[in-house]
Amino acid sequence: MRTRAVLGGVFSSAAILIGAWSLSGAPKAVHVAAAATTTGTTTPGSGTASSGTSGSAGSGSTGGASPAPSSTASAGKASGTYTGSVVSTQYGNVQVQVTLSQGKITDVTALQLTDREGRSVQISNYAAPILRQEVLTAQSASVDTVSGATYTSEGYLTSLQAALDQAG
Amino acid sequence: MARLVFTSMGTVISVLRPGPELPASLERAVREEFTSRDARFSSYRADSELSRVARGDLSSLTAGPEFRATLHRALGWEEATAGAFSVRSPDGILDLAGIVKAEAIEGAGNILKQTGLHDWLLNAGGDVLVGGHNYGAPWKVGIVDPEDRSKVLAGIELLPGQRALATSGVSERGSHIWSASGRTPFSQVSVLAPDIVTADVLATAIMAGGHRTLEAACSRWDIDALCVTVTGELLTTPRLRLQLQVKPTHDGALPTSA
Repeated sequence: MRTRAVLGGVFSSAAILIGAWSLSGAPKAVHVAAAATTTGTTTPGSGTASSGTSGSAGSGSTGGASPAPSSTASAGKASGTYTGSVVSTQYGNVQVQVTLSQGKITDVTALQLTDREGRSVQISNYAAPILRQEVLTAQSASVDTVSGATYTSEGYLTSLQAALDQAG
Repeated sequence: MARLVFTSMGTVISVLRPGPELPASLERAVREEFTSRDARFSSYRADSELSRVARGDLSSLTAGPEFRATLHRALGWEEATAGAFSVRSPDGILDLAGIVKAEAIEGAGNILKQTGLHDWLLNAGGDVLVGGHNYGAPWKVGIVDPEDRSKVLAGIELLPGQRALATSGVSERGSHIWSASGRTPFSQVSVLAPDIVTADVLATAIMAGGHRTLEAACSRWDIDALCVTVTGELLTTPRLRLQLQVKPTHDGALPTSA
């Protein structure tokens, strides 16, 4: 069930992606996000997943989340490329692909997005709000270097980068 | 960890290498990437090629090939960003500082690669380009908190495909960022990109152009961004959000409880 937990995380993340997309002005993507989250409870390869709720005019989905042939799930850590269901909504089709390496997400791609007339549309790589406490974690505890607005050579002396260079 | 730190372009450049010191000849070559461009493009030097062109003493058409190549590249970015990145300051003076430092980092990185070095990190005044790893681990860059520059806002791993990270903000020099309206919604913009010129130029452009440029740039180029608004909120792109939010356990796996 480890894989299941991993996929749950993956598709929650996918839902975040689509949730972000909804902020870009694409209409009513809330339906899509809900569908993707539901798919997250699927075991990979089962192919029987319900895609969850789709839009009112949607025709349902095809296929569940399934790993690509190249994937492996040894030692409980999933690796490979997982493709989510095509979710049909009244506004078009959405499909998300997630790449895992040893249980770590390495990429999330929107594979297929079509509008109501079946034309493909570009997903917006839109920047959405994130809470400070979400990023203020151990992730930032140890860093090799520091990126910030350009410091002058005088200002360098009071910069974090100077401290790191000293410590090095 | 071998470390080379020197001053050029009015800022400080740090070079990190996991392992022994860089050979002296290589150190000189890396410095030269910065000092030669500083001599040519500095607006602080009256005798630089840039100052002579800006004054009208020298035509940009008869300037040297290096000058024209950089000007051409900068003009290409100005067009691509609909003027959010500009080769001129608000008072109309030619200023290529926005791209010259990035080109120097790029040049220094190319020298390190050509020498066969796999693992290295270059930081010039807060703009970062890496190669390879830090003793097998991904290079990790802290983003300064613009509200408290003694703190780090987030840590970002520079993974293959996204080797460059540049941050633009209300800089100490103060002259790099300008916008048509004179107001910008962001106090700091960091851009993660495959190359340092793209990262640096787009960080500057988004800082100046605000939300519209942010959305346009993120749609057109393979970049990620972390923006801090003047009210202290953070905005980030989906892929970077995943890296920032997913908290791996010590063995790199996702937590078992979602």
